[in-house]
Amino acid sequence: MKELIEIENRVEELAVLAGKIDELAEKWSLSMPLTMNINLVLEEAVSNVIFYAFNDPDKHLIQISLSLENKTLTLEITDDGISFNPLSRLAPDVSLPVEERPIGGLGILLIKKMMDQVSYSRVNNQNRLTLLKNI
Amino acid sequence: MNITKDKIGDFLVLSIDGRVDTNNFNELELVLNQVFEEGEFKIILNCSKLNYISSSGLRIFLTALKKVNARNGKLHLCSMQQVIKEIFDISGFSTIFNIFDTQEEALA
Repeated sequence: MKELIEIENRVEELAVLAGKIDELAEKWSLSMPLTMNINLVLEEAVSNVIFYAFNDPDKHLIQISLSLENKTLTLEITDDGISFNPLSRLAPDVSLPVEERPIGGLGILLIKKMMDQVSYSRVNNQNRLTLLKNI
Repeated sequence: MNITKDKIGDFLVLSIDGRVDTNNFNELELVLNQVFEEGEFKIILNCSKLNYISSSGLRIFLTALKKVNARNGKLHLCSMQQVIKEIFDISGFSTIFNIFDTQEEALA
């Protein structure tokens, strides 16, 4: 099973994405917690792209592909923004006391912890983030 | 997202209904900032109807906790759904927040 979703690089499009994932979850009979996990990791990954990948005011398209084969869920986010590997960002130290706890970096941490495998590649001048989860 | 306010004893209880995400986190931020401006630093966030939170929402929770701690106040969370609790666990937030099963316990 495979589905491709395409959205524009505007923050309002995240709601469109969430709606499409909910529809897909129903079609693929995914559980509620898994659907929420997918929604969450995609919101984190795609909002990163929307906020940081483009240094021009132009409209860009972001492709999100979802596939489910042999109990492996694969999510792939592709954009034509500037070369940037979000996985290279240092995860925040979650053992720090509240006063020293950094405000940022939580999105990538959530992606890494919720998925079983994460990888980044730069292909044909595009960023591609691939996220795998065994279900 | 809907937020309702109830003053119960010393605490101001804010009940969050719906999602807190990249699109609407500023609504929660606005309410919390108003509450702080009014001098309320003993707060319960009732999360029984919170059904989704992303890092944008978590950042607001963390910022609120820092502000409350700076004023020697209290920020208690209660009645969290399991899926939300897991996100708090993963983020390492469960160890820095006081999380109660029920609102009664959070008020005690």
